[in-house]
Amino acid sequence: MSGIVNVRDLAVGTRVKLANGAEAEIASNPRDGVWLFARYLSAADDPALVGQEDMIFAQDVVEILA
Amino acid sequence: MNGTHGYHSGLVDLATGLISREIFVNDEIYAQEQERVFARSWLFVGHESQIPNNGDFFTSRMGEESVILCRDRAGAVHVFLNSCRHRGMKVCRYDDGNTTVFTCPYHGWSYGTDGKLAGVPFFREAYHSALDRSKYGLVEVAQLCCYKGTVWACWDAAAPPFLEHLGGFRRFLDLILDGWDGREGQAELLGGVQKWIIPCNWKWPAENFSGDTYHNISHRSVDLVGAGPSGRSRRDYGELNAARRLHVALPDRGHQTITYVLPRDHVPQAAYQNSPEVAEYFRHCEEERRRRPGENSRMIGAPGEIFPNVALLPRQPRTLAVWHPVNAHQTEVWRFFFVDRDAPRAVKNFLRDYYIRYSGPAGMTEQDDMENWNYAHAASRGVIARRYPYTYEMGMGHAVEDWEWDGLRMPGRVVDLTKAMASEEPMRNLYRRWAQFMAAESWDDLMTWRVPEATRDAKAAE
Repeated sequence: MSGIVNVRDLAVGTRVKLANGAEAEIASNPRDGVWLFARYLSAADDPALVGQEDMIFAQDVVEILA
Repeated sequence: MNGTHGYHSGLVDLATGLISREIFVNDEIYAQEQERVFARSWLFVGHESQIPNNGDFFTSRMGEESVILCRDRAGAVHVFLNSCRHRGMKVCRYDDGNTTVFTCPYHGWSYGTDGKLAGVPFFREAYHSALDRSKYGLVEVAQLCCYKGTVWACWDAAAPPFLEHLGGFRRFLDLILDGWDGREGQAELLGGVQKWIIPCNWKWPAENFSGDTYHNISHRSVDLVGAGPSGRSRRDYGELNAARRLHVALPDRGHQTITYVLPRDHVPQAAYQNSPEVAEYFRHCEEERRRRPGENSRMIGAPGEIFPNVALLPRQPRTLAVWHPVNAHQTEVWRFFFVDRDAPRAVKNFLRDYYIRYSGPAGMTEQDDMENWNYAHAASRGVIARRYPYTYEMGMGHAVEDWEWDGLRMPGRVVDLTKAMASEEPMRNLYRRWAQFMAAESWDDLMTWRVPEATRDAKAAE
């Protein structure tokens, strides 16, 4: 296992951990292997992001939570 | 635009009917064409039936360049340059599909189906949120027109609207796009797009489809085989015994075609006799067509060309072809086939078999044509061959304006081929317009129909 998350296969509703420690839930997946649309569940660096939907870059996804 | 310009007085000499081989084989002229012809002209990019749903896309071409025809999430049709604004990589490398985003595989910039730049990797960290993303959407064409399902685009904001560019040629395009029973805009793309590369300049097929009836001898073997839908000749053309055969050329637009005009009281001829269901479908359509008002029921479409690189063949086979330039010595051909949307499945299947028997890389007639273009091009590249211009003198001085027969008028300049058999009026028309584009500084010089006649005369006298 490389430890790299293959974002292409992640289903809507999956929760992921990001490189900056934030957590997000996938809202939609264009399945291009590069981007996810996800809603922030927590964001210690910038609490204003919580609840917002954003495009998440594949390299920022470090762990699948559930 | 006047006689002192090189393209008019030298390479394209319409006074003598001589055209230099250089315009076909010279790499510098080819490079100029990309800017002066293709970056300014209306070009065909696809058909709306290829992108029926929001998010659908079809990767097409405009001149040498890859473009994306797509329908965004709100249903609007767009045509974008298929090139990332960051480093130019293609953002779409599929022929067609459905997507929510076009993502560049190089650095990951991502664009919505509306062309807006949506995702920039490390936007906060590396760009410090300072990049103005609104400035870097996909490059969109300056003008776009959806006409009866076909999609046309143009990079030049100063070009006239598409239908104005089409002018009186619209009725000939309608012969493909309207239903065979005369209802408006019933054409549907049949299957995919045939694509292949041929080793000749793009103007060879453009000239051929402008209305070259002189080369029919090339297709003698196909006629003998009987590849037509009823097993005779190439097409079912029983009506032609009663029709007038014409070359029609629009000098101020550069479009030209062969067309057939039937007498007012003409009775439809039997066709497609080898398949009763298909024969019955077309018999019914012909009847319906003649009931409708307008004159198009008296016209039978035949090969024609919309300037610069779109060929139409409204009937048997019913197809549009695009001659995409690759370089001076290569052309990528894309052929689109059409059927009536509401036609029975058996009719569509029958026509598909006939179309591919006739056209495309494996089509018997198109193979004949390619053989001619490819070898003529190769035989014109040498330093000796280039010294000798081609002759386009056939039928010079025999075209008429205001042509009318049995109450039906034709636009532009017309040569009656019923007895003459052939003329090179359409080719001269094509190259006149090509020369005008190559010499003109802008569309102001090309829209001569907008200039009052007195001003035009004064300019010509200068």
